[in-house]
Amino acid sequence: MRLPRFFSKKRGHRRTGSEVWGSVGEAIFHATLMVAGVAFGGLLLTGIAVPEWRINHDFLESRGTVVGKGLARRSTGGPAASRASWQASVRLRYPAGAEAAEAWAFAGPQESDRARALERLDRLKLGEELVCWYDPARPAQVVLSRGYNWWMWALTLLLPGALLAFGGAGLARSLGRWGRSEERQAATGQRPRDPLAEGPASTTGHPAIPSCEDLVNSPGTILRYRLPIESPESWTLLGLGLFAVLWNTVVALLAVNAGLDLLGGRIDWLLLAVLVPFVVVGVAGVVAFTRSLVLATAVGTTQLEISAHPLRPGGTYEALLAQGGTGAFRDLEMSLELEERATFRQGTDTRTERLVVWKSPLGSWQGLQLSPGTRFEARATIHVPAAAMHSFASEHNAVHWRIVIRGRPTRWPAFIRTFPVVVFPQSPGEPAA
Amino acid sequence: MPPNLLPADRRRSNPFATRHTRPGAVPPLDPAGAPLRVEVVLAALERHRRVAIVGPHGTGKSTLLAGLAASLAADRQPAEVVRLRRRRDALRLIGMVARGTADTTLLVDGWERLGRPMAVLIAAIVRLQGRRMVVTSHRANGMPVAVRTAGTLPLLTAIVGRLPDHGGLISGDDLSDAFARHGENLRDALGDLYDRYELRSRRS
Amino acid sequence: MTHLPDPVRQHPSVTVQFCSPDRHYEPLQPIAVRYVVELPSGQVARAVERSIVWYTEGKGEEDIGVHSFERLTDRVTAEAKTGGFESRLPASPLSYEGVIVKIRWCVRVRLFFDAGRDFVSEHVFDLGHVPAAAFPGRP
Repeated sequence: MRLPRFFSKKRGHRRTGSEVWGSVGEAIFHATLMVAGVAFGGLLLTGIAVPEWRINHDFLESRGTVVGKGLARRSTGGPAASRASWQASVRLRYPAGAEAAEAWAFAGPQESDRARALERLDRLKLGEELVCWYDPARPAQVVLSRGYNWWMWALTLLLPGALLAFGGAGLARSLGRWGRSEERQAATGQRPRDPLAEGPASTTGHPAIPSCEDLVNSPGTILRYRLPIESPESWTLLGLGLFAVLWNTVVALLAVNAGLDLLGGRIDWLLLAVLVPFVVVGVAGVVAFTRSLVLATAVGTTQLEISAHPLRPGGTYEALLAQGGTGAFRDLEMSLELEERATFRQGTDTRTERLVVWKSPLGSWQGLQLSPGTRFEARATIHVPAAAMHSFASEHNAVHWRIVIRGRPTRWPAFIRTFPVVVFPQSPGEPAA
Repeated sequence: MPPNLLPADRRRSNPFATRHTRPGAVPPLDPAGAPLRVEVVLAALERHRRVAIVGPHGTGKSTLLAGLAASLAADRQPAEVVRLRRRRDALRLIGMVARGTADTTLLVDGWERLGRPMAVLIAAIVRLQGRRMVVTSHRANGMPVAVRTAGTLPLLTAIVGRLPDHGGLISGDDLSDAFARHGENLRDALGDLYDRYELRSRRS
Repeated sequence: MTHLPDPVRQHPSVTVQFCSPDRHYEPLQPIAVRYVVELPSGQVARAVERSIVWYTEGKGEEDIGVHSFERLTDRVTAEAKTGGFESRLPASPLSYEGVIVKIRWCVRVRLFFDAGRDFVSEHVFDLGHVPAAAFPGRP
């Protein structure tokens, strides 16, 4: 079953750090959206759907006499842009069980046009008898019409539905993506292997070499390609931001509800008890997002362009580094690295070991001073050794080439930004590039 | 017709690579390093129908389970093996249990990953089916314990003795040091020995 | 490398000869292999599988890629004492002696006997000229 993917990264799938923690983080993010959807949906159901259902199922029919008429006025928007709406209302006197009750009931929809609302009101006469329905639990609540407003249901459930779908699909995808391969049976003491087991996407004609399509779909401004960054920073920022917005939306709705109750002279202790931890989490989310945003803004983006891709052993290429940000940098370094990555799973353990087996410095710059709106730019030459191993990726093992930028700002924490590249094997008979 | 041989340095296989140390590659051994007879587990299984192999990380639980599976296969007794590493494996276990037959023994590696409610449910279903089941777990889980595994230096020494020849690059002191650094987790100790062998084989 | 899946007292043996004397091949080069099977008396193979595969070795879980695979179930072929097969090797992956990840190419001949027993013989060869990776911190 293919689950909908509501967003996908332009440059395909990359994962850094621990595969397990990456999956856990992703699952938590989607689970949070699901919870927000459930909470929001719950609020809307209790505020709109349930009252409407009660009117249609629990209210008792009666006949009321019109003893008063009026226009109810509502104002929306702030003081600077206030807009009024009008709704025809009648005061009814009606038998409610053994007693007589008297209450106001709306006699039509809200109208932005006062004249139209008045016209509707004029059609009703004092002393006229009307069919009405009252709440047996609260006889002072009475309505003149019943039925379901399906458009309102669809609109009010749209946002929580979207959150549930987004979060649910993402959560299911995160859980499903935790295992792609079949278990190896040890019944005979050997491990039968499935040659067709799904693994990383390979380049056509070059088995087990990772596809570099996602790395060459962004043209550079000066050199041929702009390389995508392999870093969780931007996604962490996006995730924190989405979480802060959605969570605090829920908090705001709860707070408004609690506020309205207080203004009405009622204290909903349960709502207040729920609100306190929600507010704490919401504030923490905003603080975390703000901190990440400040760090990302202060350090600035790192961009890397390259003259050709994929790379070949023996080849020489140009790289252009552009670093943004503000303030002083102690140093900035660029290097080409070859990293081996081995994942081992057994029992309940999952471990990924990484080892940089080759490293070549490409450039180093000290004492930089960056100001807002400007970027530090530097060029470097990349020599891929003639006997270099090509990039390799299988299900549990990989040999990755990458360009690594290490920066040490004076006032901010040091950062490492990684740009993956793919090295192909030299074609047989082809001289080095 | 003699086989064509490559220079020895190109053919050196690290004896501590996972292909040599994975469960099933080395026969199950007890904490003293002696062969652990799967008959011990089979006898407990006959008595209790559902038993557990209990022990900390990297002490041979999966290896013993693999040996048990091989023994059942050799005796043509039907058995199903599930290793609970991912959420999807729990679903697979449920499917196996649902369609299983009483004569098939269930071998489950990583029982503690199920979580208590699911574990209780599956154990109850297996009991109702009358099936035999052997699980591995880090802690006792209410089932009778067939074997308690433990990581010991004699066990590590015995395992290394059954691996391909390391050509003298690993000494007894290396084993003691690796065991001291990683305690009972022999899997980590073997990983440590892998690094030592790799470093020295490149130097020699 | 030859090994038995269980402590069987009988020892089949498979000897493999490569067309390249040093077992070294270049990408896209043809490879031709001849093998000789020696079985204990009374033992007869009922099927044989011949394959050329790459596999990873090291600290990670093993991965395998099958380049060519052939299963022969006709008795004549299975019982034959010699056999051979050819293939053209791919452009990648090249053989690699890394530190925690190694990539090896090999020819495998697997013999199947009655009662579900099998015997596999593995013979490594080199594809490409990638030098061994240095241990970090060492030249």
